Amino acid sequence: MTAGTPALNVGSGALARFGSSTPVVKLAAGAVLLLVWELGVRAWAPAYVARPSGVVAVLPSVITSGAFLSAAAATLGSVLEGLAIALVLGIAVGIAMGRSFVVDRLIRYYVFGLFAMPMVAILPLITLWFGYTDAARLATTVFAAFFSIVLNAADGARAVPPEYLEVGRSFRAARLRVLGDIVLPASMPYLLAGIRLAAARALIGAVVAEFFISVNGLGFFILFNSRSFRHNQAMVAVMVLAGCGVGFEALVNWVTRRYFPWYRRDEKAR
Amino acid sequence: MRGRRPTRTLGWLITGAGLAAGAALWEIAGRRMGAAFVAPLSDTIEALTPAVWRALASSLGLFAAGFALSVAVGVPFGLLLARVRLLRIALENYIAILNATPMAALIPFILSMMGFDFAPKVLVVFLFAVFPILYNTVEGARSIRPELIEVARSFRSSERALWRDVLLPFVLPFALTGIRQAIGRALVGMVAAEFFLSASGIGMILQSASQSFDTATIFAAILLVTLLGVLLMELGLWIERRYAAWRNIQ
Repeated sequence: MTAGTPALNVGSGALARFGSSTPVVKLAAGAVLLLVWELGVRAWAPAYVARPSGVVAVLPSVITSGAFLSAAAATLGSVLEGLAIALVLGIAVGIAMGRSFVVDRLIRYYVFGLFAMPMVAILPLITLWFGYTDAARLATTVFAAFFSIVLNAADGARAVPPEYLEVGRSFRAARLRVLGDIVLPASMPYLLAGIRLAAARALIGAVVAEFFISVNGLGFFILFNSRSFRHNQAMVAVMVLAGCGVGFEALVNWVTRRYFPWYRRDEKAR
Repeated sequence: MRGRRPTRTLGWLITGAGLAAGAALWEIAGRRMGAAFVAPLSDTIEALTPAVWRALASSLGLFAAGFALSVAVGVPFGLLLARVRLLRIALENYIAILNATPMAALIPFILSMMGFDFAPKVLVVFLFAVFPILYNTVEGARSIRPELIEVARSFRSSERALWRDVLLPFVLPFALTGIRQAIGRALVGMVAAEFFLSASGIGMILQSASQSFDTATIFAAILLVTLLGVLLMELGLWIERRYAAWRNIQ
């Protein structure tokens, strides 16, 4: 690294002032990245390869087409449904693990093992059990999301400050109410970290499931269009998927900052 | 935890009982529901043929190639971003976006552009794994308080000392977190690449077994991949704890 690198010139000179107008820097960098992509494709890649100008050109016709809209609705619906199922089941199992030593010891290796299992590997089994149907995709998203919610809910339930529980006990709160009114809210930040990860995994799960079982959805839309060399159209679907990934992450981060400002995010996310 | 603290031995006894109960359930479920639907544990273990082990070794080669590439690119580039503030500000949002993008969606593009070689599969593993490394390294860079660098500057710290005393201690733990997350993603990328690009390794075993309804081999392949996943993730956790113990102090 030579002189002139701006990192150390904090608060001195024109470079620092330029560096502090961050939106300009970010936008300029984005423009450069798009330009590199565009020119790179034009110079070296075949004509069918996606490039920014091509994506922009097909964007209006793709996002108004019925095929695309129904694909997007199918994928996102399945991801949300899978997340909801995984959330309800995952919280129940996770809190049981976090609050009960016996439950934790009984199932921890299975939970951790299934969490570590690459979800693509289970696709042949899921199609064997559910056939080549929407249900198979839903099962994949549930499977992908469930275990990260369990692990984080368990971490959260374990980390509840003992004083909270003592107060509950002094007021003779019933065991279920302690779980619902003390343990669950207190472990929310962990749970949110788990949901953030679960959403990302469910999205990948839905896409690979669609590749494998060929049901209507964004993954299949991408597969179909890229096979017929319409990469620009397929790239629109990738952008929608990326938007969902980013949007969900931003939503969870916002909720965490807004309602649990004392919690440093990322600390415990698996 | 209510009551007296359960002992370590008791914990291990319960764990052992849990593992045994799970294995028994698996065996019973397989026998009850039919071996084509759920292969019993005994059939699964029988299906762990040398061919499946060889497939695992071949998959591991792909994993190693893609993962090594993502570390070799991700860590130096991440450190560069930590050092050059302007570059970090310029790129951090794009790295976050790519980190949140399901990279699996790019597999069909890679297939139609690069075909069925080994290289596109390595690229898939690389794409799955590199962004968590970059993303976390950038987070580490953001955690460095500017005053620290200013102080280092005012004391005319050399470039070397700056790296040793300020940049690396802050960035390394985050980079290791990224590497740990990358292990999990690279595993998914490995199986996905072998599944959707040219079939090889565990992916090929899974494909051919599912076409011939050989449930026992499917289970055996999944079992091996899962054990591999657990092993690699534990390794990642161990490395993170061993070399990044100071992160939580801050």
